[in-house]
Amino acid sequence: MAEVKCYIPKTLEEALAIRKATGAIPLAGGTDLMVQHYEGSGLSPVFKKPIMIITNLCELKGIKKMEDGSVEIGALTVSREIAECEDVHYLVRSAASRMGAISLRNSATIGGNIGNASPKGDLPQPLILLDAEVELISLEGSRRMLLDDFIKGAKKTELREDEIISKVIIPPADFTYIFYRKIGTRRANAISKLSLSAACKVKDGKIVDFRASSGAAGPKVARGKDAERMLIGLAPEELKSRKEEFLDAWNGVISPHAMPEWRRNSTRRMLDYFIDAVASGSPEGIIE
Amino acid sequence: MPSTKINDKVIRVDAVAKARGDAKYVCDLSFPEMQYAYMVRSSIPRGKILNIETPQMPKGYKFITYKDIPVGGKNELWMIAKDWRAFAEGDVRYVGETIGLVVGPDRNVLKYLKDRIKIEYEEETPAVSIDDGVNLVGGPIRDGNNITCELFCEKGKDMEEVFAEADEIFEETIETGFQEHVHLETNGVIVLFEDGKYVVYASAQCPFYIRKSVAGLINKPYDDIIVRQTTTGGAFGGKEHFPDVIAGPMLVALNVVRKPIKLIFDREEDMLYSVKRHPSKVVYKTAIKDGKILGTKGLIRYNVGAYLASSYVVLQRGVFHANGVYDFPNTYLKGEGIATNTFPSCAFRGFGAPQTLFAIETHMDHIARHLGVDPLAFKEAHLIKKGGETVTNGHIVEEVMLPEMIKVVTEASDYYRKAAEYKLGSGKGIGIAMYNHGGAFTGNGEQAIIKAHARLVKTGDNVDIQVGSTEMGQGFQTALRKIAAAVLELPMENISYDNPDTSKVVDSGPTAASRSTMIVGKLVERAALEMKERWAEGDFSTEVEYEHPDGHPWDQSTFRGDAYLGYGWGIACVEVEADKLTNEIKTVGIWSSHEIGKAIDELIVHGQINGGIMQSLGYASMEKLENRKGYFRQSSMSDYVIPTSMDFPKQEYHIQENPYEWGPFGAKGMGELVFNGASAAYVDAVERALGITVRSIPIPPEDIEEALKNVR
Repeated sequence: MAEVKCYIPKTLEEALAIRKATGAIPLAGGTDLMVQHYEGSGLSPVFKKPIMIITNLCELKGIKKMEDGSVEIGALTVSREIAECEDVHYLVRSAASRMGAISLRNSATIGGNIGNASPKGDLPQPLILLDAEVELISLEGSRRMLLDDFIKGAKKTELREDEIISKVIIPPADFTYIFYRKIGTRRANAISKLSLSAACKVKDGKIVDFRASSGAAGPKVARGKDAERMLIGLAPEELKSRKEEFLDAWNGVISPHAMPEWRRNSTRRMLDYFIDAVASGSPEGIIE
Repeated sequence: MPSTKINDKVIRVDAVAKARGDAKYVCDLSFPEMQYAYMVRSSIPRGKILNIETPQMPKGYKFITYKDIPVGGKNELWMIAKDWRAFAEGDVRYVGETIGLVVGPDRNVLKYLKDRIKIEYEEETPAVSIDDGVNLVGGPIRDGNNITCELFCEKGKDMEEVFAEADEIFEETIETGFQEHVHLETNGVIVLFEDGKYVVYASAQCPFYIRKSVAGLINKPYDDIIVRQTTTGGAFGGKEHFPDVIAGPMLVALNVVRKPIKLIFDREEDMLYSVKRHPSKVVYKTAIKDGKILGTKGLIRYNVGAYLASSYVVLQRGVFHANGVYDFPNTYLKGEGIATNTFPSCAFRGFGAPQTLFAIETHMDHIARHLGVDPLAFKEAHLIKKGGETVTNGHIVEEVMLPEMIKVVTEASDYYRKAAEYKLGSGKGIGIAMYNHGGAFTGNGEQAIIKAHARLVKTGDNVDIQVGSTEMGQGFQTALRKIAAAVLELPMENISYDNPDTSKVVDSGPTAASRSTMIVGKLVERAALEMKERWAEGDFSTEVEYEHPDGHPWDQSTFRGDAYLGYGWGIACVEVEADKLTNEIKTVGIWSSHEIGKAIDELIVHGQINGGIMQSLGYASMEKLENRKGYFRQSSMSDYVIPTSMDFPKQEYHIQENPYEWGPFGAKGMGELVFNGASAAYVDAVERALGITVRSIPIPPEDIEEALKNVR
């Protein structure tokens, strides 16, 4: 029986040194890792690598609104705090507020949710729509990249063996219309079966920004920038003429694998509904 | 302290200890020198065992198999039949079949050893679905064919004659899926020796069943086996016979190891490797004349799995409830239990009745819609009444209160207005279903098989109830103490009733079949009445035996007569709103009325109604358990989901009194009744909201998409 080597660093610097020296897996809330490595009641979990419990690293906690309007969320910030913070974008707050059960939201962190890179993960979906970036930190320094680039596929990320996710940066966004849906296996304490965010900015009678992102619809969150561009520049009342073409294009964006018809059709119906709401000049705000 | 009256509102006697975490469950118990055990199970659904290779066992660790069964013991567990083997021997018949136990002091070492036991199989093609079993996929599982058990019952004229008279014939097939109990506490057992006796501590419904089941396996008389029920955190039928399957091999291990041994299932084991509700496939062929049902022919098939367990009795209940609350002049109902290579199906709240009640209610809805009439009005025109003939040629002996209950529920829910206003496919729908549940054991089972006893022991002003019936969360300790206290005119605090120990109490029969309040409650009432009369005699005990009420003829060989001593009756109404973008169904209203004779404790009854209806709605909507090639696909509480309090709204409930002559204070059974019908009401509402036809449950959004395709 292999014993689990477990480190509890007191500072970020110490954590980075341990990470570099041992490749220890950072464990924050443990809501994914402890479940994935559960061996049974009364048994030690089995990890192939050492573990580093970073739950108490204050350097990686908290939410800050920056001067340029962007919002930085420390990797160890828990979902409950994100859901409650008014500085955080509505789409991300919505996703955070519907993650698992209350007890899970009190311990699951944004860094963990991203690092776990599950296509069903709640937070990456709206974050990718918002063009959020992640900051990765190591003893060598830090680097930033789009979250959409960081997550390569199911359970696959760009994180190096010596790096830790340090924060998520959400750029300022100002949309005229937004839409969010999570369809879970039930109404609470549920894993996502399908999720969708959509957002649109109308300025001077033209669509200047249009985005959508689909969760649980393939190996990773699906964003189709080519499809999105099809609608940019149109007047809202012109949307109808390009709608079917857009919906067909989006249908090509979401993965053809393991897609029951319901996921595909529901995604199409939700986008159809959102576009119609924009086209018909609905009052600005959240499309319910 | 004032004496307890039967209508008093009381605090459940087990509430505080459970809420505080003081109650001790089997996993909380520990004994000196205690060892642990893990099950080594079949990893394939069907095949021969060619070889078992075990790693070098460290000192103090053992691998126990059928070879360790004591001399004279037989590799069988006795439920209804003795077909379920304690250990697989030579072949395996389902994924999860017990092959052996690894036993030793350290669980980490045991897990390591268990993972290194290599079993070599010669795989055979499994039969998984009912159709597979019927079509003998992979060859017969049992001798000759895969019909493990069968029965039929008929009433009125020959159905061919009836079909010839009909204006039209309406035929359809309705199916239901597996359901997992998801009792909060998983299965668990501790075995040990005490003064030379084999002792079993078990989270279980029926301690006397365990004793009976394992005696032949270890070749010991009942007196050498003691079963002690530990505080049980939910069961729903999942701990009726299944604890035998754990206790049997554990006692064989005890005989070898001679030290206390503990085995507690993890949730994943409980999900994948325990009994389930029987999937069903019911074909109705119904003759209609002048807008009314002239007769129906039903073929009822249940997926039994690899061993019989309790399936024959489950199937009987399914057949006897297959015409629901209706009186069709002619019927022919045939039931078949089909053997497959899935985990054996067994008891689950409702015990076979929910499947056929769902099928008949849904069938009635479909006929009504086909005829263009309101389903409720159509159903009302066929309701059975007092004196009406049942499908087994027996008679309904009680006043059927459904017409009054329909009035209460339709008024509370505003059913008629909504039914007219919400057009088919409008996104809104209201559905209604009626159901019943025969109380206690089928036919003369209480008299011929169980012969229940109850004993009261008086010491000063205190009285101890000594019966084998168990508290499993349903509230029976409270109900029984209340009955005794109310008869004896004592405060409930003066009455004690502990978790049973088979060496100390009398056998009052299994805690199953909604029989505890109705049958055991009555025995305790009778014993208490006798005690009250003799109260001045000092310290003494009274013991009574079950007496069968007169006028209930039953022939178990032909299934003719009064299948049940009395029925509980129910009606549930469910209102939904469908999200047309995502097919998500939001339930916005639930109304029900249940006729249960008399509520011994209204708060407990309310809890049962709430829970039973929620469980039934989960069964219809989200509790999907798929079996592919012999393997269950859902293995955790995140992929097999049961409803939370967020999924369904607050319920409005009504309890209809109709005192029952042979029940304590007029009470009948009710624990299963409340599960039996909300599923059909939900499906009715969803069908109306979306304009779809549903012939199979559960219906999560993905499956609604399929049904919608057939509409477009």
